[in-house]
Amino acid sequence: MPHSEWDYVMAAYIITWVVLAGYAIYVVRRLRAAERDREEIQQRLEVES
Amino acid sequence: MNATETPVEAAIAELRLGPPSRWLWGTTIVGILAFIGTQIWGFTTPPDANMGNLVKILFVHVPTAEISFLAVLVMFISSILYLVRRQERHDLLGAAGAEVGAILTALTLIQGSIWGRPTWGIWWTWDARLTSEAVMLVILVGYLALRSFTEDSGRRARWSAAVAILGALNSVIVYWSVQWWRTLHQPHSSPMTMARPYRYALRANDISMLLIFIALVAWRYRAARLERAAELLREEAALSQEGSHAAF
Repeated sequence: MPHSEWDYVMAAYIITWVVLAGYAIYVVRRLRAAERDREEIQQRLEVES
Repeated sequence: MNATETPVEAAIAELRLGPPSRWLWGTTIVGILAFIGTQIWGFTTPPDANMGNLVKILFVHVPTAEISFLAVLVMFISSILYLVRRQERHDLLGAAGAEVGAILTALTLIQGSIWGRPTWGIWWTWDARLTSEAVMLVILVGYLALRSFTEDSGRRARWSAAVAILGALNSVIVYWSVQWWRTLHQPHSSPMTMARPYRYALRANDISMLLIFIALVAWRYRAARLERAAELLREEAALSQEGSHAAF
């Protein structure tokens, strides 16, 4: 079945939104993990000293 | 480094890890709202006489392609700054730019392919613009792979700076490919090459994509600095443990 112009337009927009939103979620998760990691090690070092 | 600082403390201070600024939060919120608004604007523009509704794809494809060049420029300038100043934060900014650049370059290729199928009748061809853009993606992915394989931070930064500087030269080929060779891809689209109803929508989408880009790079850069600080603290903890064992 041939695709309509709208199918291509929708595909381009949806892929753009999904990829950008997915990457933003990945960055936020990485940011939170790094923040937690740094705080934990910092606390451990303070306790040790 | 002042007299009371340890080398690890000095290295962490050099990463400049304050809380996220109001400027960063503002850019992120304005960027998201502007992106939603300008996408709706692009999506609701009238059909073009030649391209029909497919013209709407240009409001995502052109800004993504343009901003991917900017990402490569961030990687290029940061790498030069790293080699000149040897400050780790420049290396981390370059890596953040490269990662966002890889996402945008991959998106540019996908959007272009989706536009090309109904317009040219093919998903892909080994045209100079498409091929050089695909090479750019390979370079960016290669740069990120090199970083993940190299454990020593100094060596990682030096090697990846060299790859980044050489790899960024390919963006000149990508940009001029449509002028230097006879290509299926048309010359550069910009607000000035488009009819009035589309011009402002494209310019607005350029600006919103720029804001999204700044926010993504800035947050990714912050995550990279936090990860590096954690890595430095982990090394210090390991050293202090070794020291306490040696004392016994």
